[in-house]
This record gives sequence, C-alpha cells and structure tokens, in this order.
Amino acid sequence: MKANTTQIGRSMPRLEARAKVTGNTEYTHHLKLPGMLYGKIFRSTVAHGRIRSIDVSAARALEGVHSVITGQDILALVPEPYFGPAFLDQPVLALEKVRYVGEAVAVVLASDPHVAESAVQLIDAQYDELPAVFDEIEAMTSEAIVHDVLKPSGTFPDLKHLVGRKNTNIALDYHLKHGNAEKAFAEADHVFEHTFKTQQVMHTPLEPMVSAAEPGDQRLTIYTASQSPSFVRLEIARLLGWQESQVRVKVAHLGGGFGAKLYIKLEALVAVLALLTRRPVKIALTMEEQFYTITKHPTTFRIKSGVNKDGRIIARRCDVWWNGGAYADIGPRVTQKSGFTSGGPYDIENIDIESFALYTNRPPSGALRGFGIPQLVWAYESHTDIIARELGMDTLAIRRKNILREGRPQATGTPMRSAEIELVLERVAARMKWDQPFDRGSGTIRRGRGLAIGYKAVVAPTTSTAMVTIAADGSCILAMSTVDMGQGSDTTMAQIVAEIMDIPAERVRVLNPDTDVTPYDMATLGSRSTYHMGNAVKLASEDARDKLLAMAMDLDLPPETTPVPELFRRKYGMQAGTVVGFGSFVPPYAPPDKTNGQSENITPFWMIGGTGVELAVDTETGHVRIERMINVVDCGTPLNPAIVETQLSGAAIMQIGFSMQEKMELDAGQVTNASFADYKIPGFHDIPPVFENEMVDAHQPGAPFGAKGVGESATFSVSPAIANAIHDAIGLRLTELPMTPESVYRALRILQNKPVEDE
Amino acid sequence: MSNARRKISFQLNGATVSATVENHHNVVELLEQFGLRGARESCGQGLCGCCTILIDDVAVSGCLQLAAMVDGKNVCTIEGMQKNGELDPIQQAFIESGAFQCGFCTPGFVLMTQQLLDRYPDPDDDQIRSYLSGNLCRCGAYPEILKAVRLAAEKRKSAATA
Amino acid sequence: MSPFEIAEPATIADALALLSGDDPDIRPLAGGSALMLMMKSGVFRPTRLVSLRRLDEFTGIAATPEGGIRIGAMTSLAAIEHSSLVKQRAPVIVEAMRRLANVRVRNQACIGGALAHGDPHLDMPPLLAALGAEVTIVGPEGERKVAVADLYVGYYQTVLAGDELIREVSIPSLAGRHTAYQKCTTRSADDWPALGVAVNLRAGKSGISEARIVVGAVAEIPTQLRNVEMILQGRTLDQALLAQAGEAAAAELSPTSDARGSAAYKRQLVKVYVGRAIAAAMDVVAS
Repeated sequence: MKANTTQIGRSMPRLEARAKVTGNTEYTHHLKLPGMLYGKIFRSTVAHGRIRSIDVSAARALEGVHSVITGQDILALVPEPYFGPAFLDQPVLALEKVRYVGEAVAVVLASDPHVAESAVQLIDAQYDELPAVFDEIEAMTSEAIVHDVLKPSGTFPDLKHLVGRKNTNIALDYHLKHGNAEKAFAEADHVFEHTFKTQQVMHTPLEPMVSAAEPGDQRLTIYTASQSPSFVRLEIARLLGWQESQVRVKVAHLGGGFGAKLYIKLEALVAVLALLTRRPVKIALTMEEQFYTITKHPTTFRIKSGVNKDGRIIARRCDVWWNGGAYADIGPRVTQKSGFTSGGPYDIENIDIESFALYTNRPPSGALRGFGIPQLVWAYESHTDIIARELGMDTLAIRRKNILREGRPQATGTPMRSAEIELVLERVAARMKWDQPFDRGSGTIRRGRGLAIGYKAVVAPTTSTAMVTIAADGSCILAMSTVDMGQGSDTTMAQIVAEIMDIPAERVRVLNPDTDVTPYDMATLGSRSTYHMGNAVKLASEDARDKLLAMAMDLDLPPETTPVPELFRRKYGMQAGTVVGFGSFVPPYAPPDKTNGQSENITPFWMIGGTGVELAVDTETGHVRIERMINVVDCGTPLNPAIVETQLSGAAIMQIGFSMQEKMELDAGQVTNASFADYKIPGFHDIPPVFENEMVDAHQPGAPFGAKGVGESATFSVSPAIANAIHDAIGLRLTELPMTPESVYRALRILQNKPVEDE
Repeated sequence: MSNARRKISFQLNGATVSATVENHHNVVELLEQFGLRGARESCGQGLCGCCTILIDDVAVSGCLQLAAMVDGKNVCTIEGMQKNGELDPIQQAFIESGAFQCGFCTPGFVLMTQQLLDRYPDPDDDQIRSYLSGNLCRCGAYPEILKAVRLAAEKRKSAATA
Repeated sequence: MSPFEIAEPATIADALALLSGDDPDIRPLAGGSALMLMMKSGVFRPTRLVSLRRLDEFTGIAATPEGGIRIGAMTSLAAIEHSSLVKQRAPVIVEAMRRLANVRVRNQACIGGALAHGDPHLDMPPLLAALGAEVTIVGPEGERKVAVADLYVGYYQTVLAGDELIREVSIPSLAGRHTAYQKCTTRSADDWPALGVAVNLRAGKSGISEARIVVGAVAEIPTQLRNVEMILQGRTLDQALLAQAGEAAAAELSPTSDARGSAAYKRQLVKVYVGRAIAAAMDVVAS
C-alpha cells in the first residue's frame, strides 16, 4: 500500500451533490410506471379487536376505483401472509384481528390517487373490541395478549434462538450476568436506584415511505425506498414461495431513512397487489401515515447501583422494558444488542441485566438511529450524575473514576479494544473547560452545564459483499447493495475504490442497489456499512487490482507502472474488455452464552459518543435554551471528514428533537399528533447557536483505512447531557423525555413544594 | 363534473406552457406533469418547505397552491435556477459547504436562500435563521446550511464586484 | 381532495351571489393557506370555492388622514410585513409578522383570511383587537363595520355569515401609543402560539391613561383583560405593577388545555407574559 493516501481523508463533495442541488435526484417518491395503480390504505380505528366485517361495497362502486383488496383476498395468493425479521407476526393486511389504531386493513386501488383516497372514506369495518395494553410495564402482566401464537422468522443468525412465550406479551427476554451483583450490592456503601422513561417518537423521513411493484412473466420488480434491498428480495421470495432470482428489488437514493425504511414496510403489500391485479401498483404514504407504520421504542429503565464512598461503582442491576408495539419488527434485536451495554461504558465488576421486548397495542417500534442506545444512555448517564451529586463528587470525576479502559472486560466479558472511551470523555471535558468556573446566572434565568458519554456495539454477525468493475479506460463501477439515504455511503465507498485503484473518486460510478445486479448486503443500518461494506469494497477493489497486476505479468508489462488503459489495449487489441473484482466480508464474532450473555468477542467494533451542553433555563416558564453543544466521537479514522461532520450534527440535532420536543401523543391508541403541525421536529431556531463536533484521533484495526461507523454516535449522549445541565442549573432532575417547558416548570414547582394544581 | 377542470397557461421557468388541470390538484401535481421533481410534497402542510416554488417571484409552498390558480402566473422552480448549464452561486455554495445529506429538502432551501439574498444581500445569522425557519431538514444539516448561506452571500458579492 | 368548482368573480356583487348563506360546502378562497390544509385533511370537502383574487377593491395598503392604516383584505401578510407605511405607523405589526408562521405562508396568506378563519391559535386577531382595529364587512345587505375585538364568537366561529366577506381592515392612529406583541411557543421555537399577548397603552407623566390588553390562543377566542386594564389605569409602571398585572391576568382568564399546554401551565404563562408584554411595550425590562 502507498504510504500516503490521496482519496482517503478527503472531504470531497458527495458524488451526487450536483443532482441534489438542482432537484434532479431521482427518488422512488417520483416513480411513475405505465398503467400504474395507486393504492390508498384503509386503517383500523380500534387498538385491539376481532374483525367482524369489512364492507367495501360503496368504495368498490365509486367511479374510477379499480379494486378494493382486504386480507382475505391475499390468502388466495399467499396462504400464510405474515412477515417480519424476528417473528413472522405481521400480516400483509390485517387478518382476523387488528392490533393497533392505524393498522392497514384494506387497500383501494385506482389510477387516480384522489379517487382512491375518496373511496377509502367509504369503507366501513366493524370490530369486536378486545382489551388493549399500551404500557410496557403493564404488558408484562396484562391479561390483554396481543399475539395468540408467535412464529420465529429464523432469517438472521443473531435471532435464531427466538422462541417467544405463549400467553404473554414477551417477544424476547434477554439476560446478562457478570460477576456477583447480589453480593456486591450487600457490600456497597451506598445503593442508588432510579427509573427513567422515554417516549414514542417517529423518524419522519422527509421522503415518506413509498414502494411500487411491477409484475412480469414469472417475475416481480419492486421499486422501493428501502434500507435493506437484499432482505426485501429474500422475504418477498419467501412469502411467494419463489426463487430469489425471480424478485428484483431496485432502490434509488432515499430521502432519509433513519431506520424507518428497514425490512418489510410496504413492499409485501405492493407485491401482492401487483400480482393480484397484474398491474403496477404504487403506495406512497403521507407524513401522517408514517406514524402508523414504524416508530422508536418507548422504554422504562430501572437502574440500580452499588457504590463505594470513594465513588467506585461495584455493582449494577439494569431492568429494561422495551415497548415494541403490535409487531416485533426488529425490536428483539434492539433489546438484545443494546441490552448488553445497558450498564454503560464503566468498569463494573458485578452486573446483572434483564431486558424485555414487549408487545403492546401501539404502532410498531423498530430501529431508529441508535438501535436503542439513546434510551439506555439517557438512563445510565442521568443516573451517574445523580450518584455524583449525592456523593458530593464532581460529575466528571465520577466518570473518570469508573470509565471502562482499554483491555478491561466489558459486561459480556469481552475485553475492550480500540474504544477511545476515555479520550472522548476527556475531549468533551477539555472543550467545555470543565475545570474553569462557570457562570450559573441569576434571577429568573439560570445556567447550567452537563456532559454524558455512551457507547454501542455493532450488530453481528452480518455479511456484506461488493463487486468492482474496471472499464478499459480505467474508470470503475462499484456495485453494492448499501443504500445511500443521505449518509454519504456512495461517496465514501467510491473513495475506498479510488484509493486502491489509484484514481480520483470522481471516476468511480456507484450503482444504485438493484438485486439483479448488486450483490448481497445485510442492510444499511446500525452504522455497520463503513466497516462491513467498506471492507467488502476494499476486498473487491484489491481483487480487481490484483487481476490487473496478473494481467500485466501475463503481458510481460511492468505491473506498477503500466497505465491501466494501456494494459487493456495490449490485452484486447483495442479499448475493450472488463475486469471484475469481488469482495465478501464477515467479521469474526463469538455469540453470547444463552444464560449469562458472556462472550469472548461480542462485537467487531465499538462506537463511542460524548456530548457536552451549556444551557439556560427560564425558571418562570420552564423554557430551556441550549446555548452550546459539543459532540465528540470515536469513529476511527474518518474517510471523508466533511461528511462525518454533517453526520455528527445531524445525529445530535435529531436527538435534540427527541430530547426536547417530539412525542407521539396517544388517546386510546390513536395517535393524536400525526403531522408536522402538531409533531414538531427541530427547525433552525431549535438548534444551539454554538454547535461543535470533534472526531478524536483514532484508528480502528481491521477496518477499511481505520474507519468505523458514525451515523448514530452523536445521538447517544445528547439527552442525558441536557438533563444533567438542567440539574446543574436549577437543581432539578427530570426522568422522562421529552423535557418540554411544561415538564420542566411542573418539576420545578414540585421541587419548590408548590406543585401545579391542575384545573 | 365539467367545471371541475380547466385549461391553464402560465410561464414555467421562462417558457410559456399550458396544461389541463383538475381544480383539486395542487401545483406539485401540476409540475409532475412537466416531469419536474425538484418540488416535492412531504409534510403536505406547508411546514417543511420541500415543495417550495416561486410564483411571480415570491416563494410559496406548492402543496398549498391550487394548480388552477397559477393560470397566467410566472412559476419558477429549482430546475430554472441554472443558467446555461452553470450552477447558481447558491447551489455551488451548498455543495461546497456540504449543506445537505439526503437532499430531499435541498431545492426548497436553495430557493429560499435565493429569496433571502434578494431581500437581504448581506444577512446576519439571525436573519438567515429566521428566513429559513420555515424549512425543515430531518438530516439536520442546519449548521452547514448556515455556512452555505454565508458563503453564497460572499459569492454573490464578489460576482457583483467582478 | 375531491373535485370541486372554482369561481373567480370580478365584482363584489358577483362574489356575494356565488357565496351562500347556508351551504357550508361553499366558501370564499383568499390566500388559501388555511383552506388548503382543511381540504387536504378532509375536514372540508367543498363543492365550490369563490376566489377573491380578482376583486381589486380588496387589496392595497393606504394611509388614513387620521394617522391610521387601511389594509385591503386580500393583502398578503408579507406585503404588510414589508410595508414602509405599516412600519412607520404600526411597527408592532411588522414585529409580530417576523414570528408568524413562515415566509411562504406570509407570502400566501391574506390579512382578511387570517381574521376570518377564526382559528384561536393565530397572532393577528389578538393583536389587531388590541390595536382597536375594525373590519369592513360586505354582504347582501350592504356594508357593516365590526371591531376585530367583536369578530369572534367561538372556536372557529365569527360573526361573519356564509355570504359575507371582510373587505378591509382599518387600524386607528397609534400615535403616542406604546404597543407590543409577545408570543410564547411551547412545542418548538417556531409554532402556532401557546399564548400571544398584545398590549396597547397610552402613558404620560401621570402614568398609564389608557390600556388595552388582548390575549390570544389560551381560550376559544381572543380575550380582553379588562381587570388588568383597570389595574393599570392611572398607575406608573414599576416591577410591582408588572407582577400585579400578571397575577390579575392569571386570575381573570380561564385557559383551556390543549396540545400546547395544560390549563394550569397556560395560566402561569399568562402571568409571566402579560408582565413581559407590558414591559416590552413600555420598553423596560421585566424581572
């Protein structure tokens, strides 16, 4: 390898930058196919009920309506129309039962979407209502059972062991035991226990979820705004009983994903509609409908610590309940993968973790930028601050005392490697000038500062493959199924190809995922692509380069100095021919022991994210103004620092929304604020005026050019850093998200022994 | 219903065009008829700015405009911003500042920045935030957008003095 | 949305004839920003919209000889925001515009529509009510004038009949007045108000001689705080008076709970923001 890289570490603009600023980017949103029908979904109005009848006659009779399809109609084509990455629990359209308000019950198809939408209003469904459960703690013991039977999917190796417990709402229970927590609690000088809650929120990608399907001769093409084209192909083929090669999945650039567009969302529905009608069918959700499709897990986290008087944490017990909603989606993986880091990035010798994925009658929960980690860090980093304050310790000092250092065993027993936890913490502290005095304000405006640090393991084991094609002029085509949803993967992967091939990245063309052409990738999720696909792309590039070198040797040409076009000309007599390189990557991994969660190698790499916050609180109204935010991460060596920078601010800003503003409000299971009018995501005035990001100096061994994932890292610590700063400002501890002005004001009044009296 | 649709003609990025529109269609749907995709309906409530267009040189949300009402008007979209294939300095500034990720909101931000700089050629940060506060970026590229607008103002100034 | 007819009358008489006193599916179309939201959500499925855009007598901003301003109902909020006349004679309106919705909505929405809509979570109704503005209404029976303060009778309900239109709004001279509009949002920085407080004071050496305070968004209609106005009468402003005014405001109002805050919380906001708005009007700092 060359000593100096030219394409790596280069902050080049995105390959598709020009298309994006001129409005020419082609999203699935814009797709139109000849003869296409538009589908509009009729949705359940009850949270839990048996379907007594669905009267579609008036809708069917409306002029311009092609057809109305219900779950019963699908049975003719697919006898078992259930899908899901963990459990085959979700019907393509509701069958027998509905399990949440907003569940898809029927679809109207028409050439004019306005007609389809009008016809939906004419459908009448009757239900025998069943008792419903919405809260994750109640779901543990509730008599209301969301699913009568559960069938594990068996698709992913990390979820092979799922069983589900009959007559309960528990989709997965996860246990970890490290050391002897019970004994250590008995020996500890102090024991602290707190409970923290997070709310249900939605990803709200600005390109709302959209899929289309086009039937062919023994073939089906699905066009979808999906983060997981390979999984879509596999799952649709399984549903139809077809070969994978009969299903083609094409994905354009995504207008945002954030975890919302994973696994199966609308793809199974458009697939069966297209096959039933023999017409292309497109379903594009509205912003409102996205709230009925996938969300982020609400959680309850009870955390208990045994601490010695010098501040050393010697025991910890974590009980986490994940509210998965009506369908498991990827919730079991969220529960398990995030489960083993529930204790935080601290060196705690005795730790017990119990984590439960639960069914309720809410809209389903799945992955959302952080895969459960922000919910955990919210609890353990708030808890850490409370302990420090109770012990009269500085909140940085307690972290320094307990931080999980290189080489020390994590709760799973895996020794920490290449995880710059301590460095990230120290950089946050240094940038905040933690050792300097801080002006805490006076009068009605009080100021505070806080910090927090969190970490995450990557999903494992997973597979990525890539193919690099070299044209006779030396330009390259990269075929991979990683989806660029805005995170910049096309560009950074092109930089890897370019570095190996010694050409400018601008000469690399990256194909959009198309399962007929682009080889398998597990999915674009969980910050896994840079490392996994990055390695596959590097291997494919090296394979291609090695073939070029061999070609040169065969032709008795000096391999290092012969220009590539010259090689092709000599080999083929003209500008002709192709060289193809292939790369496949599966990192080493040791699955955890089923009973105690212990593993020698629980993750291919760790992601670290710390946040520091300075803010001001209006004590008369509870308004919090974040004045400054610093996000520091260990992402290894960034491939494209400018893109990483945008990923960091983007992640943190999204988490500011989840911390301060966003919450899906439910009334008997009905979301009452499913629109941007009432569900407020951060705008320009909601972000801190001073916003800083830092990537610590780090290198991830085994990663492509030392780079690892970063899309989620700046989400981890935002919520607790804000809560800790509020505590610093006004002595008030908030334990539930979001921290709205009213919640701050009410808590302040309780602190003053003058609780707000409701009217 | 025969009176539920009408034929309209209007200026679209400088060219006179005509179309038959349903009264209940909005301008985003109208623009789709012309193969334009820079204005996209996202929130559907005029709050996110993804469907920003200019009607008679004034920015509005295309999703809140009835197509029938642009009869006789001058409509400009992001597609009309390039001159002779050259990017506008604002578009260039957005690229150089990395002021987008997924790009779905970007045409709206670019058009609003054009309006902002037409009104305030040398905006301070508060003016930029206020003017763009009606455009949402779920990827959260706001810090980079702020930089891009500052850079675009510089580019315009140096172009004017050149 | 479902099909409907759009009529574009060129005269007021034609417009009134196309409207209907009792068919709720026929409505006038001004800027259309609010109406489109209702149509898109299916709350309103019209059979006919009567566009007012060809009615020339409905537009324009003009000075009145008495020092006030007349604004045609079809004048966009942006035109008002950028009017040098409004800036000179009623700068508080220009200030309020800066945090009202967003640039695109202000470009599209018209002042007449903003007043006729009857949505309690708007900024212009309380402000114009406090400024003593009145609207000129045209209908089958001719013209009538109604104070903005008297325009609202309930949630999304005004005194306007289905076949009546606001033609213009006139704002009296504000010479010698101290005015302010303070908006409080609770769900994000930019939002419809959880509370809007409009203050219009006349004050001299002997203290406050006249006060009008109108609060928007806490109840179904903009509410004038008559007790607070009486308390301020004849008094000189100091911190104690601001606190007293806030307390009185909180006691006088009956806020309704909604997505932007509980009744009890809004009562606290009223208490704080009434003081802040009075202080802002008098250009002092509330503490």
